[in-house]
Amino acid sequence: MDIFSDLFMGLSIAITPINLVYLLIGAMVGMIVGVIPGFGPSAGLAILLPVTFGMDPIGAIMMLAAIYYGAMYGGTITSILINTPGESATVASTFDGFPLAKKGRAGPALVMQAVASFVGGTVGVILITILAPMFSQVSRSFGPPEYFLLACMGLLTLIVMIGSSWKLGVISALIGLALGTVGVDLETGQGRYTFGSAELIGGIYFIPIAIGLFGLGELFYAFWSGLHNTGSGSIVQYSKEQRFWPTAQDFISTKWTMVRGSVLGFVVGVIPGAGATIASLMAYSTERSLSKHPERFGKGEMAGLVAPETANNAASSGAMIPLLTLGIPGSASTAVLLAAFMLWGLRPGPLFMSQNPELAWGLIASMYLGNMVLLAISIFAIPLFVQIIKVPYRILGPAVVVICALGTFSVHASFIETYLMFAAGIVGFFMRRFGFSPAALVLALVLGPLAEEALRQTMTISRGSFAIFVQRPASLWIIGITIALLVFLPILGRIGSRAANTEKAGG
Amino acid sequence: MRIVFLVALLGGAVFYSYVAFIDLSFFNQRGRPGAGFFPRIVGVAMVVLVLWAMVDALRDRRAAATNGFHDGLGDTGSGWQDAAKLVLLALTYAVLLRIFGGFVSTIIYLGLALSVLNPGRHLQNALVAVIMPIVVYLLFDRLLNASMPPALIDLPF
Repeated sequence: MDIFSDLFMGLSIAITPINLVYLLIGAMVGMIVGVIPGFGPSAGLAILLPVTFGMDPIGAIMMLAAIYYGAMYGGTITSILINTPGESATVASTFDGFPLAKKGRAGPALVMQAVASFVGGTVGVILITILAPMFSQVSRSFGPPEYFLLACMGLLTLIVMIGSSWKLGVISALIGLALGTVGVDLETGQGRYTFGSAELIGGIYFIPIAIGLFGLGELFYAFWSGLHNTGSGSIVQYSKEQRFWPTAQDFISTKWTMVRGSVLGFVVGVIPGAGATIASLMAYSTERSLSKHPERFGKGEMAGLVAPETANNAASSGAMIPLLTLGIPGSASTAVLLAAFMLWGLRPGPLFMSQNPELAWGLIASMYLGNMVLLAISIFAIPLFVQIIKVPYRILGPAVVVICALGTFSVHASFIETYLMFAAGIVGFFMRRFGFSPAALVLALVLGPLAEEALRQTMTISRGSFAIFVQRPASLWIIGITIALLVFLPILGRIGSRAANTEKAGG
Repeated sequence: MRIVFLVALLGGAVFYSYVAFIDLSFFNQRGRPGAGFFPRIVGVAMVVLVLWAMVDALRDRRAAATNGFHDGLGDTGSGWQDAAKLVLLALTYAVLLRIFGGFVSTIIYLGLALSVLNPGRHLQNALVAVIMPIVVYLLFDRLLNASMPPALIDLPF
């Protein structure tokens, strides 16, 4: 009953005219971010974070969260219509989404992806509602050793999922940790790497780095890879009048697919580092292996579109659990969300839900509403997004540079931070180009100061002995889970990659 | 190029470690972990891993030279050229921002960038170069009450 009263309290906070407007704007922006190939939710969140500074924290967090899960909805539109995923989590949606469109079923595919995203997102939020208080309860017994181990878990699991090279992933994380040490050491009052500069006393601010790496870095990389020369490709035509809506058979044949995709996606989403991309590829692979007609997959099978769509949306909801209850972001997008919380003086973690019930439950309640809004937008605003797909990258590119620069400046009215953003953009491009991970850098930059503080507290408690990590049951559990994840996540990743490679080879 | 990037990273890592060992103490006066405790661990790890990555990169380069392997999407020359153009334009914008402020520099930058990246479409480029700064000004300065970069020189607007 407590959950229901909390949820109703959250709904009463979320349903105010201004908050609903923020939610609508966030959902629209999220979809636009998702539609633009080369830009993921982390880039969208980082670029638009400064825009929320003048807003009320609840409205701002609702809007940012809507951008985050809205990107999952938007990314699929391009997967279906131009065979280009708007972001990595919608790669699996191209496998059957585009063949469906080529078969003249673009309308039903677009509607079913919206319904599947809605089901995945809503099941995910229901599971958050039930599980977040439980996670919060368990994590209340955690002390500095557990927090240090959790930060390590978040970083290590992300690094093993990077794929190209774990060494480059670790180096990326170490750069983030190093940047996190700049500024005055709060325990000793000693300046570190400030070189007498007043601008560096407070440390390197997260926003310019995130905007530079995700916004400009991704943009430069897109230009390097020639995305601006490819145009929007040929957009599959669809008609709003003829055969736009799915048949009853489409719904009936995919009802269990939606259930399986939602649960699988949510579980994978809760694991730090795994994320929506792995969830969607795994859901696709699972669905094909369970299907009575696996040969139809890759040729326009509705279940092949519905499975990854439910999974990636459920995963984006699942990723909110470690963020809200442990204060540990499992991905670059949730790291930006964590930074947003911190900007408003909020610290997600075990006590977050009990100390900030209005904000926590307002956010959860807004996710129910957000999924409804996104369902409606996804179906009725498709022509608008088709127009956005047509905007050439060579026009979009300079416009993104403007928004990144002015957005960064607006935070502290600092030219130094603006120049830092440009520098981070160039570094981000080279990192992307040479297989490093900007996401690991950003995650480490956010988690670094927390990890350092926790490690130093732990060493003080244990008088310099690392044995404390194996003497506390909670620490032992976290070490065990981390080892299990480090073993199983690459296997999950390989299953997902195999599904992707099979589809590529097949067509 | 990868080797150059790794060498730059190694330089940064060595400098970071040097400062951690020279300026920052591992333990504070009470025998607890000091300001240099974490940086020293991070710095040493970074130096070791960057060196390791450099060895890998050199080995890969030798293998690529033997097999005549081309290592990326945009490595055809035009990819680097296009990315360099955008980087240079972005850096020009950074300089313009300081001199002319947010509004005027955005008009100049967009006009310049679009004429380079989207040549021949003069009307479209001019419209974007004028409308976009107005929208951005209204959004940041009026609606969100956020500050736009001020100009270094006095401008009438």
